[in-house]
Amino acid sequence: MSRTIAGVTVTAALLAGLTACGGGGMDAAEGRTLTYWTYQDRTPQAGQVIEKIRKDFEKTNPGVSVKIVKIPKDDYNTKLGSAVAAKTAPDAGVLDQPLVSKYALDGTIKEVPAGLFPDGTYFKGALDTNLGSDGKYYGLPVDQIGVALFYNKKLVPSPPRTWDELKQVAAQVHQAHPDVAGMVVPKGDGYGAWMFPGVVAGAGGEMADVPGKKILFDQPPAVEALQLWADLLPSSPRKITDSDKPFENGLAAMQISGPWDVPTIREQFPDLDFSVAPLPYKTAPAGNIGGENSVVFSTTKNADLAWKWLLFLGNAANNGAVADAAGGFPVNTRATPVGTGPENEAFLAQLKVAHARPAMPQWIQINDEIIAPAIESALSGKATPRQALTDAAAKTRALLGWNG
Amino acid sequence: MAAPALADTPTAAPGPRRRPRRPDARRRDHLVGWLLVAPAVAYFLVFLLYPALSALYYSFTDWDLRTPARWVGLANYADLLFDDVKYPHFWKSVRVTLQYTLIAVPLTLVTALVQALLVNAVRRGSNAFRLLLFLPVVTAEAAVGAIWRWLYDPRYGLVNSVLELFGIPGQNWLNTPELVVPALAFVSAWQCGISMIIYLAGLKGIPTAIIEAATIDGAGPLQRLRRVVMPMLRPTTFYLAVTGVIAALQVFGLVYVIFSGAGRSVTGGPEQAGLTYVLHLYLFAFRYDAMGAACAMSFVLLVLIVIVTALQFRFVRQEAA
Repeated sequence: MSRTIAGVTVTAALLAGLTACGGGGMDAAEGRTLTYWTYQDRTPQAGQVIEKIRKDFEKTNPGVSVKIVKIPKDDYNTKLGSAVAAKTAPDAGVLDQPLVSKYALDGTIKEVPAGLFPDGTYFKGALDTNLGSDGKYYGLPVDQIGVALFYNKKLVPSPPRTWDELKQVAAQVHQAHPDVAGMVVPKGDGYGAWMFPGVVAGAGGEMADVPGKKILFDQPPAVEALQLWADLLPSSPRKITDSDKPFENGLAAMQISGPWDVPTIREQFPDLDFSVAPLPYKTAPAGNIGGENSVVFSTTKNADLAWKWLLFLGNAANNGAVADAAGGFPVNTRATPVGTGPENEAFLAQLKVAHARPAMPQWIQINDEIIAPAIESALSGKATPRQALTDAAAKTRALLGWNG
Repeated sequence: MAAPALADTPTAAPGPRRRPRRPDARRRDHLVGWLLVAPAVAYFLVFLLYPALSALYYSFTDWDLRTPARWVGLANYADLLFDDVKYPHFWKSVRVTLQYTLIAVPLTLVTALVQALLVNAVRRGSNAFRLLLFLPVVTAEAAVGAIWRWLYDPRYGLVNSVLELFGIPGQNWLNTPELVVPALAFVSAWQCGISMIIYLAGLKGIPTAIIEAATIDGAGPLQRLRRVVMPMLRPTTFYLAVTGVIAALQVFGLVYVIFSGAGRSVTGGPEQAGLTYVLHLYLFAFRYDAMGAACAMSFVLLVLIVIVTALQFRFVRQEAA
């Protein structure tokens, strides 16, 4: 009874929301309408890009109209969840990477049909963010984003390429300028834990083997990665880096951050002479990955059309502009990125070797509640990296009921 | 309300004679009455009672907001309290919140009382002072968070600059686990405007005759405060302590704002030192998709609040001396 009322309330609220938000998309009297949910436009220009792509799609598919519903990013997951619960989900929509495996497990999104696109269409890292815990794909990437090494050109003339060089450069900077930290070492919070797998991959490791049900972040590559961060701390004291915007204020020579920071720094700190390089690595270049995927919901009656639309967003001709509108980089290997310049080169190089997060529904919670505290306990010196990660891996195994 | 004794006294003026009202008129009155309170009743039923009851129902289920809820009985409650594999930081969040409450509530009361005494003492411009001291309450939480992040900045923060004037070394407030809770409690004490206004009203309610009598009897300002003002303010203090504890146990916005922002995710600060109860609940509800467990957490908090409040009623003196 109470669920029926909840359902009706949610449905009514969503219908009201749909009429309010979807003003642009007139339903075609005949033919089919495809509803697609996405985040609200980041900029007016981004809105124009999406509008053009929508029109192009309608032109190439006569009789089809695409209705795009834009929802503020902060409310998106809750609204989408309620819509799925009330069986009023759209045909297709954007879905945050770590949610794909959750929705896949629920059966609320469709598996990607076999042979939908030729091999090599998408970057592997980006495509793998669409894996379910069963090792099948449940969505297509739209854009991707990753972190790289920002360096202050005055303090670091040429960026370090390896871990050893990174430690050396950080030490040199701090020795020459005791008030300046070598690098802003990430912290043991959810954000630091998100960046960590990219560093682990740089030593040839992975966080977990999901199909094999094995936790791998107590293995040497992860321990070495955490040891690297711990080793950097003496030349990068937190007393300096905990200050507001240390890299921007010239108090830290290097930091790990994403493309979103480039325009902000250029605008707010025009005097800062900086550039971006790929992350230093131990055995092989590697990085982490974030960004948006798109999925087709199980309740749709237009599955074929929905997949067509998702392919359209990710094709070689459109994906450059679509990804840029979403604030990321193209996921199609043949798409042309919009941005140019050394920073974009660095991020692109990074994304070619990006590793997706383990595709398991509980990953966000493990990231926040287990890995983040482990990183922090190693960085604060309360445990060695090996102890911290061994303990964290044991907790994760207990949580998941895995033995490996 | 007339005292019953009056009604029994035949000599009491009977007042203008009124015909007894007919039953249907009374019924109409009832109807009008219900119509008048209908908006309030509807609001209560739809937005308070119904959500609270459904939250109670969902606390006995495994529910991710997306798929149908699955009845699990008391499992959520048992896991919360006893399963530290599933909820490794639950008790930590309880400890953080109790610690915060123990520091924030007394600090707020003392600050509010001192401010009220000062405002009460000034002859001119007390309105201006009242306004200034009340401003932190009406400032948007997001702005408060941003401002205090700067104030607590380890290098450039005003807090450290002031401490250093007194020869106390600057601290890395929001990044040292031991200092996080005191730092948060200090911000809440800074926002004590409402308590200050209530204390001020309490102070105005103390008859000047009593104060004057004490002065004539030779009591100095401190003695007057200790022996007259404080005991007379006891009901006010009790009220503020009870409501303050209830609010402190539910602290959320401030922590959320201070520990979120560019490049920081809201996992409660260094070593979860700022992971308050409601922040923990929020993470389970909206980040980890465990709405059933989050609902159970809210009812555990309700029980905790009821117990603490009952203890206060039992053991704290509430009448004015």
